[in-house]
Amino acid sequence: MAATSRNRVGSLGAPWIFRRARPRASSEVEKLERPLEPGVASVQATGYAKFVVATVGACLALLAATLTLNVLVDPFAIDGIGLLPTAVEADRSIKLNLIGHLEQSPEIVILGSSRARQAEPSFLTQITGETAFNGAVTGGTAADAWVMARYVTDRFPREPHHYLWFVDAGIATKGINPQLAQDPRAKRYLAGKSVDFTLADVGTYIGPQASLASWRVLEKCVLHACKARLRYLPDGAIARPTLKYLPEHAASLENSVSHLVDAVRRHPPREPNTNPERYRFFERAIAFMNARGIRPVIVLNPIHPRVLAELRRHGFAQRKASLAYLHALHRRYDFVVVDGEDISRWGGSPQEFTNATHVNRLNMRRLLRHIVAHSDGALR
Amino acid sequence: MLFNSYLFLFGFLPPVLVGCWALRQKNLRLAFLTVSSWFFYAWWDWRFLPLMLSTTMVDYVAALALDRTDDERRRRLLLIASLSVNLSLLGYFKYAGFFVGSLDGIGRALGAPVQLPELHILLPIGISFYTFNSMSYTIDVFRRRVKPTKHLLEYTTFVALFPHLIAGPIVRFTDLAEQLRRPRPFLTSKAASVGLFFLACGLTKKLLIADQLNPYVDRLFAHSGELGFLTSWAAAFGYSLQLYFDFSGYSDMAVGLAWLIGFRFPQNFNSPFKAQNISDFWRRWHMSLSAWFRDYLFIPLGGSRRGPARTTMNLVLTMFLAGLWHGAAWTFVVWGLFHGVLLGTHGLLRKVGLTTSSVLFNRTVTFLFVVAAFVVFRAPDLGTAGSILSSMLGFGGLDHAAGLHQFLPARFLILLGALLVFVHAAPNTWQVRARPRIAYGLATGTAAAIAIMTIASPHPFIYFQF
Repeated sequence: MAATSRNRVGSLGAPWIFRRARPRASSEVEKLERPLEPGVASVQATGYAKFVVATVGACLALLAATLTLNVLVDPFAIDGIGLLPTAVEADRSIKLNLIGHLEQSPEIVILGSSRARQAEPSFLTQITGETAFNGAVTGGTAADAWVMARYVTDRFPREPHHYLWFVDAGIATKGINPQLAQDPRAKRYLAGKSVDFTLADVGTYIGPQASLASWRVLEKCVLHACKARLRYLPDGAIARPTLKYLPEHAASLENSVSHLVDAVRRHPPREPNTNPERYRFFERAIAFMNARGIRPVIVLNPIHPRVLAELRRHGFAQRKASLAYLHALHRRYDFVVVDGEDISRWGGSPQEFTNATHVNRLNMRRLLRHIVAHSDGALR
Repeated sequence: MLFNSYLFLFGFLPPVLVGCWALRQKNLRLAFLTVSSWFFYAWWDWRFLPLMLSTTMVDYVAALALDRTDDERRRRLLLIASLSVNLSLLGYFKYAGFFVGSLDGIGRALGAPVQLPELHILLPIGISFYTFNSMSYTIDVFRRRVKPTKHLLEYTTFVALFPHLIAGPIVRFTDLAEQLRRPRPFLTSKAASVGLFFLACGLTKKLLIADQLNPYVDRLFAHSGELGFLTSWAAAFGYSLQLYFDFSGYSDMAVGLAWLIGFRFPQNFNSPFKAQNISDFWRRWHMSLSAWFRDYLFIPLGGSRRGPARTTMNLVLTMFLAGLWHGAAWTFVVWGLFHGVLLGTHGLLRKVGLTTSSVLFNRTVTFLFVVAAFVVFRAPDLGTAGSILSSMLGFGGLDHAAGLHQFLPARFLILLGALLVFVHAAPNTWQVRARPRIAYGLATGTAAAIAIMTIASPHPFIYFQF
């Protein structure tokens, strides 16, 4: 009975899915061959153990050698070993030096990362009538802003200061740059906090970018002479002749934007980690400023319109989370937020960027005008 | 977790290898491999782990029930139930948004907009692959080609085994049954050599070739409207090579990882660009998928035994569904249909004796058709695909010097030229029959190290999206 019904199921009259395939012709059997043993496994030989040792050994030795070289050269100033000058600018020490040499207290202090260093204090003075100093540094974090604010205050304890603080969509990043942690003037403000050299940094120092940077450092500092191309004015602004040497000065803005748009498309930014540790220095700095009766102006950094459009296409969760965070923070602290992300709000031009993430001096001037007009008197 | 990530290579793989070979007892080893694979899967998004577990359990139970009964009606119902669960999950997660969007589009085109909610359903990674693995098992048990396993751990390991879980190869139970029943007692130096060789080849293909082509190809497709004859062909060749090295690199890694944990996976690529006709291409490209569609769809539909017209229809239908399997988008549908038509046309031409025996001619024509079809596969929409294809036919005119300078830098051209020669002349990973010399080991390790150095910003594998 069972056999009969099985035959019926296998007959051509049944729906296709229930039909049992007929025995295949030899050509079909041949087609179905799916070898499980590759050619390299069919070789009869000895010495496989040596091959394994050579493969694993060569791989690990090369990776270890690369890591060691890059840790020793430390081109991105991550581990802070300090044997050689770094490939990135040592602008934390430079800015602290400049603050140390200021004869007069700046009325406005600019804080932030490289995105803020195009802000010219002289232009700010021109439109507000107040003196200014640019304390923004490469890869600046909340810890950098905290140190700069404290150092300026300690340098001029009786003078009030306004703060113009440029932040990215994530508001604050965790971590203390080793350059900052090792500077004796900064150390006192960072008591108990150590430099983070994480597993991610190991990845960075195995990578080709770090190796290329190490090579540049070695070439420049060992074969020739160490000489920084970036020059800063006494007010912390970048000297005009050095603008073309800015690391963010992309050879092609179009390519730079396309790459970033592509990166966003591939890895849309997720909602930021809301670990309170991340915001510790940010909140501490605002609390410090408020305690001195100052309302800082927090500026959300501009984003190239094509990149912004792509971020919005993916929901831009980071922005939503950051705005929610700032909104909640308003209950505890007093500060003004100026949203500069969308350049159309302040008349920015998509062409006036040095790369996909940094505006140039012309756009920065437009933004500064907008900030001053919308800072609710916090800069005067 | 990507194979091409530090986390996988240095955080996940070493403890799994140690654990796998330290546990000699079969059940312990299979349990360890299953849990490790679930962990590997959950690392991406743990919320989808229950989905995979439910598919696994449904097919495990259905297969046992199928084996226990000879009542054909009951067997049919069991198969329908199992396939329905699998296809419903696949349909919901992969195609619901597409069909709703398409209905909306059709409604609007007809002037009667349909008010349907926009669906934003996250696609569980690897669902197309593990669903097909699982479905092949129940269908084979139904056809009595496979004796189902009563050993739950054998089955969970078969479905979840991390080397093939995310992007294949689509492994059949018959491929692994014996390997699961009698796991290898220890890792031989030969197996470790083969595993490391394949892993290093895969890493090199993915990181040093496919990922290096990626920025050039992306830029070309992003400026599809500005491409001329040469740049459009460069886009097509560039993407075809990128896709091949990306996916065959993944497959090599999967095979290598399988060898390292004591399994053998079937070949998934066999120098597809050396194919002499389109049927030959599909016997060489993503072999595990084409074999799946042939065995579970094309042959049951009647295969090529019912006359030319029916054969052509079967081919077009099979390839239509194969295209749709790749993704819920019209570009994949058109790509599949195009291949279906090519296969059907080739079958007819062969039948009437209109094919040539010139290897060079056959290989060139096949390659050019495959490359042209990949433009549709890669393009974000049919408009972009049409624009590039028309430029390839010369309708976009010749490129201006500025366009050539912008889109075809020397590095890209050199890479493209070298790779075109390589894929047509060099043996593939499965054909290499080198002896295990120390010098080869040093070269393999060096290549792997250089590839690993570029991991800093890894690109996911193209086939992860399917």
